[in-house]
Formats: sequence, structure tokens, C-alpha cells
Amino acid sequence: MTRRTVGQTLMAIIIAAMIAIPFFLPGEQWVNLVSLILIWALFAIGFDLVFGVTGMLSFGHAALLGSGGYALTVLTLSYQVGFLPALLAAAVMGALLAFCMGLFALRVSGLFFALLTLALAQMMYILASNKLRALTGGVDGIPGVPRPDMFGINFYDNRNYYAFIVVVFLIGLAVMALLRASPFGRALRAVQANDTRASQLGHNVHALRQSAFVVSGAYAGISGGLLASLMFYISPQMLHWATSGDVMIMTVLGGKGTLLGPILGVAVFELLKEELSQVTQYWYGILGLIFILATIFLRNGIAGLFHGPDDQDQGGAS
Amino acid sequence: MSTLIIGLSLSFLLFLLSAGLTLIFGMLGVINFAHGALYMLGAYVSYQIVQITGSFWLGLLFAPLIVAALGALIEIVALKRVYSRDHIFQLLLTFGLILVIDDATKLIWGFDYKQVPTPEMLTAPVALFGSQIPSYRLFVIAFGALVSLGLFLLLDRSKWGMIIRAASSDADMARTLGIDVNQVRTGVFALGSFLAALGGAITAPLVPIELGMGFSVIIDCFVVVIIGGLGNIRGAIFASLLLGMTRAVGFTYATEWVELLTFALLIGTLMFRPEGLFSYKGRSA
Repeated sequence: MTRRTVGQTLMAIIIAAMIAIPFFLPGEQWVNLVSLILIWALFAIGFDLVFGVTGMLSFGHAALLGSGGYALTVLTLSYQVGFLPALLAAAVMGALLAFCMGLFALRVSGLFFALLTLALAQMMYILASNKLRALTGGVDGIPGVPRPDMFGINFYDNRNYYAFIVVVFLIGLAVMALLRASPFGRALRAVQANDTRASQLGHNVHALRQSAFVVSGAYAGISGGLLASLMFYISPQMLHWATSGDVMIMTVLGGKGTLLGPILGVAVFELLKEELSQVTQYWYGILGLIFILATIFLRNGIAGLFHGPDDQDQGGAS
Repeated sequence: MSTLIIGLSLSFLLFLLSAGLTLIFGMLGVINFAHGALYMLGAYVSYQIVQITGSFWLGLLFAPLIVAALGALIEIVALKRVYSRDHIFQLLLTFGLILVIDDATKLIWGFDYKQVPTPEMLTAPVALFGSQIPSYRLFVIAFGALVSLGLFLLLDRSKWGMIIRAASSDADMARTLGIDVNQVRTGVFALGSFLAALGGAITAPLVPIELGMGFSVIIDCFVVVIIGGLGNIRGAIFASLLLGMTRAVGFTYATEWVELLTFALLIGTLMFRPEGLFSYKGRSA
């Protein structure tokens, strides 16, 4: 086995162990923590399809997450739609918003894409806080977001809801693994490596970028729906730029462009947040410092520690 | 009339900030996300100086210098290490800086709003074209115009400006000619930080100083540089005027919609001229 396979197996074992912990350990805090980690991890692996695989830094993913959360909340509370169809609608909503944002943001590339997605997401944030108050409840948010209601299982028990999250997460992970290994995934990598060459080889670069963004939006939408349901609450805070920043930090910390890295990044981020916030109220600044050190010294993130030096991202021209 | 004055003072403020942003981008290829945080820091430091010395003018002079020194330190300690990598890494790094600067500010100055009083000689309103204009607004316009002029002279007419322009258009060639490009980079980042903090110090008497002020202003700056064409200082001045006036008119006639007007302007520009209103080159950074 190469170092790479050993590393990947190790990472998979760690993640599997993390998922298993809440089933064996008593106490609510593990269940809640890992629930949160898995939902954010789903968000992060979707984000990484755009960032790590296609090479576009989106700073607007908070809007996609929030749109999914609001879609689920409004559909279940105001229109009595069942939980699963509403979760599906959250994915569609995220994908749809990603498509619309892409219409504008994909007119530019590189760093401008980051600035533009940020501006568009900020616009959505302002809309959700003010103009769409009737729909979103304004800055107060909407309490009482429901949990799933099926098979006669009580999902208001956090352990049962955790099992539901695990199932959704594993499906999402499997689909993403297939996507990344598919010709579509390879084409996206080609776009990141050299978009001119990819287009000369006959790939429609714009369509590929747009599709990656839309798929990523669907992942964000589902995560948003699950998150609102976990918290029983949603507010425009979910669309705040800090949310986009968080998912970016998690992905970079874990290792962008790898399938399992971002999951570990989320876990480390949430654990640090949990521990640091008990010690000091300035945990976000300390996290920022760790993030800066990671960008300077840990080029391939935590996954790079397992993989060894990675040949996929040596910086330089892209 | 007062709409025009407010619009102009807002425009010059936006220009000070986006000029720093665009200057740093032109030289270092870095979009400085932390630019808003440095602006906020400028306001807080000038508040602190006013608290200690009681003089607004000392604050206006020293706050930008202190923040510029901090900017130079940031460039030497952190940014310098990631120049050779993809531009995205530099963006990530400056994003991390926002978090650190924000929390450091919280730690030093706490969560309360701070206020810097308007300097005494500028408190009286001035009668102009039949309306009463706060004289501080006029000062902001005059001061902004003066700094902008100084910046143009520095970049276009001075030897330093020539070195900066040479080093940004071809770093290797400049290095061959004996220019210490590393020092120029540090200097330009410090200059950008100086301009950001100057914007913060001059805004301080106009608005409550708070933690969120950095981020709301950085979005406006991004809109300015996207509309004006990044790396293009002349474009930045027109885009600042456009955005500043739009916002001032918006405040007067449609207060509710003013935030969305900014984005409408941005989207409108992108629909018709994706490369920016004042840019010649394509848009790929």
C-alpha cells in the first residue's frame, strides 16, 4: 500500500469512529456535537466540490445554506409539507439559488468570483433580514422548525435524529465520492488545473463550473434544512458572511480538494470551538490565528498530514 | 444640496479605502479582505488617541501611522510567506486576519460603541447655497480631495511612484534594475493600511465606532473595485463617486432600499460590462 492509501484508510477509520461514538457513549453532548459536525461536514464536502475540485472560491455559500433552511422551515410550518419532501425541496432551493447566483458570479473568474459571491450573499442576507420579513420572520428568525415524522419513530429524541443525520450524511458522502470519481469530476479537476486547456479539449468550461456550483448548492440546501431542524430554529444569521467564512476555514483546515479532509476539518473546528469557547470569549480570534498558521504552514491541511506531500496542489499558476 | 455634500464626502471616503485596496492588489496581487478591519482599527486607535490627548488632529495624524506600521508587520510576518502560491491563499490569510483583528479589538476596547467628538472648529454649520451644511462634511470633502491629489502626485510624479509602478508591472525586471521589490511590497501594504486607517480616523466623528463597521465598508469597497476595475485607481475614483452619490440620493429618497441599490448597481454593471466600467483588460485575476 502506498502512503496515500494508508493515509486515506486511517482518515476513514477516524471518521467512522467519530460517527460511532454517539451510539456507544451515554450523554447528550456527544450526540449533539457529532450531529452538528456531520451536518456541517455535508455542507463542507459540497463546498469543496466548488472550491477544492473546480478551483473557485465561493464566499456566498451562507446564502445557499440559509435558502435550504428557510425552504424546509416555511414548507413544513406554513404549508404542512412532509419532512422528506421538504428536505428535497431544500436541496432544490439551494441548487436553484446557486444557479441564479452563478448567472451573475460566473461572468467573472478567479478572485472576482469570491468578491461577487460575497456581495450576492450579503444581498440575500439583507433581503432575509429586512425585505422578506413576512417570509423569514426578519432578524427574530422562526422558532419551532420540526423534526422528521415517519416510521413512527420519535425524531424529537436527539439520538434518533442523529441516526437520521448519519443516514443522510452517508448517502451524501457516497454520492459525492461517485461524482468526484466520475468523468464529470475529472472534467472539473481539469478546469481547475487549466481552464484554457480544458476548453480546448472540448469541455464546456462555463457549463462545468455552473454545474459544480449547482450541485454544491443542493448539498448546502440539504445541510441548511437539517441544521434548522437540529436547532428547532432558523434566523438570517445562517446567511451571515461568517457562515461562509466558517465553511471555508473548515475546508482549508481539513485539506481542500480531498474527499475526507473537509470532514476532519469540520470536526477539528467544532471541537476547538467547543473547548475554546469554554475558556475564553475570544475563541474566534484564536481560531483565526490557527487558520492563518494553517494556511502558511499546512498547505494541504489535516489531510496533508495523512497523505504526505500532495502533488495536486502546488500552487503556482491556476 | 446637502444630498450632494453627503454624497461627495461619502465618495471621497470610499475612494480613500478602495484606493488602498486597489493599490495593494496592483502591487501584491492580493485582495486584502482585512482592509475593512484596518479601517475599523484606524477609527478605534484615533478614538484612543483622542481619549488620551484630547486632540482630534493628533488622532488623525498618528492613528494611520500606527496602523501602517501594523500593516507592514503583517506583510513581513505573514503575507510574505504565501506570495509564491495561488492568489486564493492570500485571500484566505487576510480573511483569517479579520477574525484576529476583530477579536483583538474586542479584547482591547470591549463591545460598547465609541464616539469621537467633532473637532471644535468644525462644529458650526455653514450656510451654502441656501442650506445649512455641517462644516465637518465639507472638511471631509476637502481633506479627501487633498489626499487623493497627494496620492496621484505620489504615484504619477514621484520617484517612489515610479518604483511602485515598475515593480507592479514587472517585478523581475524591477529586481534586475536593483530595486528591492520585497521592500516595495512591504511599503505598498503599509501605504494601503495607512489609507484605510485614515478613512477610519476621518469617519470616526461621523459614525458610532463599533465592531461591525469594518465589514459593511469592505463590501462597498469591493463593489467599487469591481465596478471601477481592480488595480485601476482612476476607475476607482469614478466608481466611488458613482456609488457615493447613488447612496446619498438613495438615503434621501428611498431610505429602505439604499442597501439594495448598491447591489443593483453592481449587478447592472456586470450585466453590461463584466470587465468593469473603466477597465480595458479581461477579468481574470
